[in-house]
Amino acid sequence: MSHVAFQPKSAPHLHAEADYVVVGSGAGGAAAAVTLARAGRSVAIVEAGPWRHPEDYPSTTYGGLRDMMDEWGTTVTMGRALWPVVQARVMGGTTTVNSAICVRTPGDIFRQWKREHGVGGDELAKEVWRHQDTVERDLFVEEVPTRSHGRSNSLAVLADKKLGYQGHVMRRYTKDCDGTGQCLQGCRAGKKQSTNLNYVPEVMRRGGQVFSCAPVTRVAFERRRAVGVTGRFKHPHTGASGAKFTIRARHGVVLAASATHTPVLLKRSGIKNKMVGREFRAHPGTGVFGCYDDPVDMNTGATQGWASTRFRDDPGLKLETLSLPLEMVASRLSGGGHALMSRLRDFRHICMWIHAVRAESTGRVYAAPGGKPIIRYTLDRADMLRFRRGMRLVADMHVAAGAKAIIPGVFGMPYSLKPDEVHKLDDAPLDPNRYVAVLSHLFGGAVMGQNGARSVVDGHGQVHGVKGLSVVCAAAIPTNLGVNPQHTIMGLAMHFAERMLS
Amino acid sequence: MYWLIRSAMTALYPRTDDLPGVEDADLDRYLKKLKRDSNGAIWGGVLAGTAVFTLSPIFTIRRARPSFLLSDKELDTHAYKLANSRSYVVRQSVFLLKLFAGLCWGEHKDVREHFHMNPYPDDPRTFRNDRMEQVRS
Repeated sequence: MSHVAFQPKSAPHLHAEADYVVVGSGAGGAAAAVTLARAGRSVAIVEAGPWRHPEDYPSTTYGGLRDMMDEWGTTVTMGRALWPVVQARVMGGTTTVNSAICVRTPGDIFRQWKREHGVGGDELAKEVWRHQDTVERDLFVEEVPTRSHGRSNSLAVLADKKLGYQGHVMRRYTKDCDGTGQCLQGCRAGKKQSTNLNYVPEVMRRGGQVFSCAPVTRVAFERRRAVGVTGRFKHPHTGASGAKFTIRARHGVVLAASATHTPVLLKRSGIKNKMVGREFRAHPGTGVFGCYDDPVDMNTGATQGWASTRFRDDPGLKLETLSLPLEMVASRLSGGGHALMSRLRDFRHICMWIHAVRAESTGRVYAAPGGKPIIRYTLDRADMLRFRRGMRLVADMHVAAGAKAIIPGVFGMPYSLKPDEVHKLDDAPLDPNRYVAVLSHLFGGAVMGQNGARSVVDGHGQVHGVKGLSVVCAAAIPTNLGVNPQHTIMGLAMHFAERMLS
Repeated sequence: MYWLIRSAMTALYPRTDDLPGVEDADLDRYLKKLKRDSNGAIWGGVLAGTAVFTLSPIFTIRRARPSFLLSDKELDTHAYKLANSRSYVVRQSVFLLKLFAGLCWGEHKDVREHFHMNPYPDDPRTFRNDRMEQVRS
């Protein structure tokens, strides 16, 4: 049997063995697992969430939060503001609920890693880019087809032409995108190439084993060598504990449980390195609505279809389109009662575009008593200045696209601004708790570096001071990227997996 | 307890002219589903938001009575002012209530029809078992 799902408590303790045990099935875990499997190694993928096919995906946002997201998407940063952290808990990880945006790792990132952390450089760049070529072929990366743009993305293209933001239609891991606008709940049309549809099944076809509904409790060691993982099945709907499992690794344990769960797992497993959980980073972002005379119907077309990286270096921002479903817009617009209902009447006429800050602020991941991650993170003043600048850049786009009003969604500012009032955003407050924002891209917590006192893993993803234990997810990435991270995570994970083989 | 949550959510998303409110969106069924599906933290957050909403008219409109005893006009003013409270903690409490009420409201077929959108199909709530067959539970 190559897939084992939830096993009840009455079932016997499950024992299995493989050359490599990979914890997590998202971008990093699946990419590493398929690389190992293609080299002829036996691989066991252990995923905390259930395996859902596109026909199992929910339609509603309620269902998306309940069935796809980690803790209903309610994990929030602790600090000046409670900003949610977007992560999935399902086979395929966050690749099932993101917008499948594919951006190659910029060359300056590898030079920065070399300069600041003593790892990376041009050699690593070549390797990662080579693997990214493979991923692009495997996952059918394409530009969002014109027929799937929808009016929101088309308006952004129009604004970009007027303002010279040097944006582009996104390249995404999709095969003939239908533009159903349901990326965030999981693509029921099956067009998005999340890893549960390709790399995980390929690992199984190559003889691998897959365990779902199987959260790992700890990594087992023998004489400072990782030899496997232990855990207990958990029912995805009832939360009931199931049978225990032990999966032994003949050659190594590969952690890819995300920037929040990997550090917690390392701590729970007795890794004493003081850097575990530190250097947590993110791309916090928020949206600005534009209200137009004609209906935009932002949920028609690709959820995300246009982006600009012109401001990646100065001031450190990425701009994108992002459509929100009605049920999320309902709580995103400010106010309550008849005033809120009056605002919601404009739903067909509004669309949201967002910015994500290439933030320099760092945070820390702690393990709560129950084993869940707690994230301490607050943007400093310099990042909040970037954040505010992003609001203005997005608002200017709406003005250029012909919006009759701008809805900034900032507490302490008017609900809407006329096009000639967007300059008021230059004086918007700098307190994070005035904004409704989200941390969509997470990095660090088990960062790589040459110096064992300042990092958790070395330049090949191996945990310092122990044998047979690697980190191949975003937790190992030591800096922000300023671009969407899935492609970097996948390229890096494949490179680390190849190093394990050698 | 359901009636109290219902009262708060209805005040946040009231029926207005031809646009259905959350009370028209099978709210009772939704609340039972939410309690069954959610974990203690989420349900506790909804209860906390409801408590804040119910007990705070003294701070928003200077009326020393629970929100469910307010007149329609007072309740509407209270809902608006509370959602825009200067206190971040209060705003976040109400935001959670608004979020889950908004999910109920926005996914309902009558509301979606109002905005010219097709109804959502039912969520399958299934996953794959050992033999890769669909499991519903």
